[in-house]
Amino acid sequence: MNWTLMWDSLPRLLAALPLTLQLVALALAFGAVLAFATALLRLSGNRVAVALTSAYTFVFRGTPLLVQIFLIYYGLSQIDLIRDSFLWPVLSQPMWCAILALALNTGAYTSEILRGAIETVPQEQVEAARACGMSRVRLFRRIVLPVAIRQMLPAYGNEVILMVKASSLASTITMMEITGVARRMIAQTFAVFEIFIVAGILYLLINFVATRLIKHAEWRTTPYLRARA
Amino acid sequence: MDQHRIAIDPLASVEQDGPAHRHPPSNPAAAVAVQADGLHKRFGKLEVLKGVSLTAREGDVITLIGSSGSGKSTLLRCINMLEVPDEGRVTICGETIAMKTARGRTLPANSRQVDRIRTSLGMVFQNFNLWSHMTILENVIEAPVHVLGVPKGEAIDLARSLLDKVGILGKADCYPVQLSGGQQQRAAIARALAMQPKVMLFDEPTSALDPELVGEVLRVIRQLADEGRTMILVTHEMDFAREVSSKVVFLHQGRIEEEGAPDRVLTNPESDRVRQFLSRHLSAA
Repeated sequence: MNWTLMWDSLPRLLAALPLTLQLVALALAFGAVLAFATALLRLSGNRVAVALTSAYTFVFRGTPLLVQIFLIYYGLSQIDLIRDSFLWPVLSQPMWCAILALALNTGAYTSEILRGAIETVPQEQVEAARACGMSRVRLFRRIVLPVAIRQMLPAYGNEVILMVKASSLASTITMMEITGVARRMIAQTFAVFEIFIVAGILYLLINFVATRLIKHAEWRTTPYLRARA
Repeated sequence: MDQHRIAIDPLASVEQDGPAHRHPPSNPAAAVAVQADGLHKRFGKLEVLKGVSLTAREGDVITLIGSSGSGKSTLLRCINMLEVPDEGRVTICGETIAMKTARGRTLPANSRQVDRIRTSLGMVFQNFNLWSHMTILENVIEAPVHVLGVPKGEAIDLARSLLDKVGILGKADCYPVQLSGGQQQRAAIARALAMQPKVMLFDEPTSALDPELVGEVLRVIRQLADEGRTMILVTHEMDFAREVSSKVVFLHQGRIEEEGAPDRVLTNPESDRVRQFLSRHLSAA
């Protein structure tokens, strides 16, 4: 084990950390919006909406993320319609292709997590809100969503960890995030072990912080679960 | 310690007051607060209500009794459209709830009208149904602030006085899980009262409570009856029904079997079914 090499690789790998964080943060943000819309449509009872959203979650949960990334990055560029459209400035960039794939993927998983959490909100509490004259929208905002979000945090924490790790797949479409930089350095030094260990440690650190943040959010939003007489 | 004293009190008072404590009979000159006409309700093949009509005038305390499955809770829940009747009309304080038929199902025509009417009907549930993620105070101010648009400070003042009235002001900042069943139900009553409803609906408010906690809830309900509030109450507490009701309605298999003044229906019923029901329930009590 070449300790000096490991130490020397650290600055370059750390320099790639912001890109990894950016990929994950944007994918999670877009994914959350997508998940929210999907879960609502899925629960709307409208047959067309239910069919479309079911198909979306089925496809994106049922196929490998790597395949999705390749289809978006290499596949879409072969379609003239897209090359000529206003989408091309975005879809021609590997960065946005990676974010799009990650967001679509996490959106599918998160929508299922959210849907499950919404369905566990006790019907009795919903009924009490209806009996007070709350409209459907207000009931959702004030009663269902706060309870559902607290309910889904543990499962969502898992999803965040998976996304941090999945962002490494962006290296396959030229993104120089942590794994991308690591692979390039290995190509120059052949120090597979040393450099991947350092990269792995960086992912561990990110996920350590992420799990702490989620745990903290859980703790902050559930005083009623800790409360005992 | 405090709870214990309250728990014993109402049972004692029933015996002490005896026939002296009675709710005044319905005033025929008072305005009609709740009018249900010819309500039918089916759950699949089971017809739970087979044409039930009910009138509650202002100041009335109407108690619905009957064995389980007789339709009394369904009738109560049809009044605020938590169950939508398949046929029949519900009129609250002169305003009839508009209905429509869509794809063979009867529905309220205008959900806004239903939401608005519900603000004048306070509902208390068997299982309290408090919002678990809010403190007791937040539970009580939620609907006044977010449905009626009452300024928050005003809502808090009213909430605190209501919590004081039901005897749990000290629990204002607790979460529902921290309260006993009896305290939760009193909080739920305060939550319903905070909307300043014209009519209070109680759906078996003491059925989910441990026996020693029943008294503290009945005491609060009796206090509301004494204040002249219009109330419709589903209960199995026969002694209590006799004491607080202006009218008792006995349901059997989705129809009204007998109705009238509590002393008459509960002491000297015309129907054999009511007699049988009472012999089971009074001996059990």
